[in-house]
Amino acid sequence: MLQGIGGSAGYGVGKVVMISNEVPVYEKKQVMDTESEMARFQKALDAFVENTTAMAEKMKREVGEQNAQILEGHVMMISDPFMQEEIHKRIEAGECAECAVDEVCTMFVDMFSQTEDELTRQRATDIGDIRVRILKLLLGLEDVNISDVPYGTILVAKDLTPSMTAGIVKENVAGILTQMGGKTSHSAILARALEIPAVLSVENLLQSVRSGMMVAIDGCEGYCVLEPDQETTIEYEKKREEYLASREELKVYAHKETVTGDGKRVELFGNIGKPQEAAKVLEFGGEGIGLFRTEFLFMDNTKLPTEEEQFLAYKEAASQIKGKPVIIRTLDVGGDKDIPYLGLEKEENPFLGYRAVRFCLKEENIYRIQLRALLRASAFSDIRIMVPLVTCTEELHRVKELVEELKGELEQEGISYKKDIQVGVMIETPAASEIADLLAKEADFFSIGTNDLTQYTMAVDRGNAKVAYLYSPYQPSVLRSIKRIIEEGNKAGITVGMCGEAAADPLLIPLLISFGLGEFSVSPTSVLQTRAAISKWTKEQADKVADKVMSMTTAKEVEMYLKEQSIS
Amino acid sequence: MVSQTVTVKNEQGLHMRPAGIFAKEMTRFQSDVNLVFNGKKINAKSVMNIIAGCIKCGCQMDIECEGEDETEALKAAVELIESGLGEA
Repeated sequence: MLQGIGGSAGYGVGKVVMISNEVPVYEKKQVMDTESEMARFQKALDAFVENTTAMAEKMKREVGEQNAQILEGHVMMISDPFMQEEIHKRIEAGECAECAVDEVCTMFVDMFSQTEDELTRQRATDIGDIRVRILKLLLGLEDVNISDVPYGTILVAKDLTPSMTAGIVKENVAGILTQMGGKTSHSAILARALEIPAVLSVENLLQSVRSGMMVAIDGCEGYCVLEPDQETTIEYEKKREEYLASREELKVYAHKETVTGDGKRVELFGNIGKPQEAAKVLEFGGEGIGLFRTEFLFMDNTKLPTEEEQFLAYKEAASQIKGKPVIIRTLDVGGDKDIPYLGLEKEENPFLGYRAVRFCLKEENIYRIQLRALLRASAFSDIRIMVPLVTCTEELHRVKELVEELKGELEQEGISYKKDIQVGVMIETPAASEIADLLAKEADFFSIGTNDLTQYTMAVDRGNAKVAYLYSPYQPSVLRSIKRIIEEGNKAGITVGMCGEAAADPLLIPLLISFGLGEFSVSPTSVLQTRAAISKWTKEQADKVADKVMSMTTAKEVEMYLKEQSIS
Repeated sequence: MVSQTVTVKNEQGLHMRPAGIFAKEMTRFQSDVNLVFNGKKINAKSVMNIIAGCIKCGCQMDIECEGEDETEALKAAVELIESGLGEA
């Protein structure tokens, strides 16, 4: 068994085809007629640009923009005036074109490989690819073609270069094994786009396998078995089928409504940190945005973002999600999130200090700009305002007052906004949980932030390894708190959602259904599995599990019981 | 010579695509355009040199332009970086 890293999930068994892309051998010679040598280089270069552009077009159609961009990048790189000049200089000095190209490419491969930056180091592979292809064009050699490998092939290479993969026929390739490359390498990106299992960075791979050898690969855990016995082969084929079936099963949920086992509709939203990610939520089948963190607008800046900048970002998110609800959390600065130009003082207990709504209500001018931008963007969409870290009713009162004042301002200026914009509370402190009944009378919605709620309820710093074991949503105290918040919200007739990691935890789903959670907000990639998990539970079954769990006394007992329930 | 300090906004820094767009735009100007980052001077008309510079998100660098159209070149360069080069 050889260990590597999982570059693309899935299982495959097949026969090895070795793909080599060695630098071709050429003869170094002095050239007298530099002019015709230059013409020879130019001809190869033109052919390179033409071929590469065609490959990029093909990629764009078959596997998407991202992979095509890498090949378009090759054209950009070779057209670099600095690189061209270096090659020309050498040819003019009497070097042959092969030699000039090889030397200049090697110079950049070395330069890129020596940097500390992973992304830049990966570009060395691209220049290596360019070098080999131009040399082959100069020498009249054929390019590697992997479009005609037989069905059931495991491709083995030192590294798959972009040009090699352009011709891949995904039906015929059972897996990819490489000796180099990480999770973000081109091989990995392409393998994932094509849904081909891949194991990368396998040490001594090329010495260990040979063409025609049977190999079983596990792209989830990142290892492969050479010459597997019959038992192992059967095991991998079974794993492969199960994996494909579960992926297909999830795809079934892509365009379905989110309903419980007995047909009750709940909302399933996605969490995002940047406006562009809204499109990703839609792509994965999300029905809205349950948490849009606005900190990026402030963190990626050297000064406060203007009302216009904020307005455009909020509007962008709303337009990407095509009019579906967008819950936007107002600035949640402080705690572990520092924004240098705000000049916040260092605190003894930052998580108990000057942060989130506390900061915003003190620095009202900053908050007004954000609220105004939100109101303006609401004219175009179903934007809802969520206030973080509320601990007492006065905070909510003040935010609502501000919103009303700003509505008046906009009215006078003749600027449109959504008149009945919702203002809700993120429930993430024990205080807010205790007064959930009071807050529910004045908030338009609740969203439970389970990460902070767990941390504050258990009084535990989850970054501290010595006490992190206490940080668990299965703690009876945390579960009781969640139950109360949902019940109080429902009693007052407002929607209660959840936007912490717990909302995507399949073990907790029966409890959340039983308590009556109306909206689940999870990371875009968890949408489908959450929808699938929700559909598995009827209210009656969920109630039974919840009754049992709420009578338990330890987190461990709860977790074990929920695990048993999720299997059966 | 004119110069200005800017901050890179692109999430993955000036990697291939944004670096390519930037370099290509800079070749339209006669002036020499250099990025001064981490004490190194980088030819801004060369995508390869920009990539080798490993300029990450949030990094500050100086753009220096020298030549007949230096003012226009600097203005265009600053605008490009601040616009996020089609990614922000």
